[in-house]
Amino acid sequence: MMETISLTINNEVHTVLIETRQTLLSVLRDKLFLCGTKNGCNHGVCGACNVLVDGKAMRACLLLAITLQEREITTIEGLSENGELSLLQKAFASHQAFQCGFCTSGMLISATALLDHDSTPSISKIRHELGGNICRCTGYVQIIDAVKSVCEGKTDCT
Amino acid sequence: MNYVEPSSITELMNYVTTVEDYRCLAGGATLVAMMNVGLVEPELLISLHKLDELKGMRIDQNVIRIGAMTTHTAITDEDRLTGNASLVRSAAGQIAHSAVRNMGTIGGAISHADPSADFPAALTAANATIEVLGPSGRRVIQIDDFFVNYLETSLTEKEIVMAIMVPLSPADAIGHHLKFSRVDGDYATVSVSLALAMEGRICSYARIAVGSVAAVPLRLKEADDILIGSNLEESEIARASELLLKSSDPIDDVRGSSSYRKFLIPRLIRQAVLQSKKELSYT
Ligand SMILES: Cc1cc2nc3c(=O)[nH]c(=O)nc-3n(C[C@H](O)[C@H](O)[C@H](O)COP(=O)(O)OP(=O)(O)OC[C@H]3O[C@@H](n4cnc5c(N)ncnc54)[C@H](O)[C@@H]3O)c2cc1C
Repeated sequence: MMETISLTINNEVHTVLIETRQTLLSVLRDKLFLCGTKNGCNHGVCGACNVLVDGKAMRACLLLAITLQEREITTIEGLSENGELSLLQKAFASHQAFQCGFCTSGMLISATALLDHDSTPSISKIRHELGGNICRCTGYVQIIDAVKSVCEGKTDCT
Repeated sequence: MNYVEPSSITELMNYVTTVEDYRCLAGGATLVAMMNVGLVEPELLISLHKLDELKGMRIDQNVIRIGAMTTHTAITDEDRLTGNASLVRSAAGQIAHSAVRNMGTIGGAISHADPSADFPAALTAANATIEVLGPSGRRVIQIDDFFVNYLETSLTEKEIVMAIMVPLSPADAIGHHLKFSRVDGDYATVSVSLALAMEGRICSYARIAVGSVAAVPLRLKEADDILIGSNLEESEIARASELLLKSSDPIDDVRGSSSYRKFLIPRLIRQAVLQSKKELSYT
């Protein structure tokens, strides 16, 4: 069944016609063309589709869009402000924390949620919290270094 | 597929009794994944997220009532889960990763009845009871009677889990959920859940459940009875483990072979008991 719903995404209200069984991931990518959120496994394992819902990281592939009408959704496109990348985004760039880039938006969402919760996490906590995001290129080291650099206040964004 | 969000129990029961092919939606972490691959496509999806009675936790006469829609994250963060109930908190914090814990609910987890999930064993060791509601009213199911088989519970058709009740007592017990998995955040290859209390050097309370080694959480009163009244010496722990091992019937799957799981059972039980004993002797 089709239904028209309103979703608040990156502080903007979108009115969109969806199928009731459609996931947030599919609505973001196929209806709103917010394609920064990636479709990896489509069953919650890889973390590439992570978004923030009311500030908490969740899997967009496991959320039905129709359940989210009263929630605030933030996607990777919403992490920068007025065209300026967030500190974490800058740190990922300066640490070359990606190769193919497919996992990056999910990683950034997890890292953003982590630092919102705890601005000075230990390395082991960073590793633990990013454990739900799979990267098949970098070996994770640069990603963890990038997050750590933000906690230490040095983003090296040259 | 139609979608509804009842905001009262009467409304909920109306849908449940009038529609044949429905599913309840809790966190969606399992159900939506199954929908994504076409395994389920109910005629009606009933979201439980607007039902206040299924939300939050409250303590009543030494028992904490955890609403079915409480997320794993909320349970992990709940500092009123003390004594015997600390076991449930220990298990919640080890489920998957933050993004899944922010979605998944305790009601959804037990209704799905995956024997390799963490709550089935933890709630068995914590001696929980499950409050359910159906067209003919409410009833309470003792946890030992709740899990029936792989992915099967004793909920009758059209019954819904309302809350999970966990006794806080023994207040001096500590609870541990010891999980062995291939990588951090995966389902358990084997898990051991244990609530334990001691009076001096004597074990005054013990309840052990082993997860992921049979179709339902494995618990034997005889094994607990070996530990209770003992000094928790190696030989006593070994005897209790031996009983549990004999009753286990693990499957071979991607997380481990049956024989590997059997190899783990006594080792994890020993570690869980000794760790708890050590902690209790410092308090
Ligand atoms: C990537 C990933 C990793 C995971 N890792 C673990 C892990 O390590 N350990 C672990 O224990 N779990 C794990 N899980 C499971 C997860 O934590 C949830 O427990 C699980 O998804 C079910 O909870 P839910 O709220 O999402 O239920 P849903 O998916 O919404 O529902 C599951 C089933 O229960 C039914 N249902 C839901 N609520 C009720 C109710 N109140 N009454 C009656 N029926 C109901 C639904 O109709 C459906 O059939 C993992 C899940 C994912 C996606």
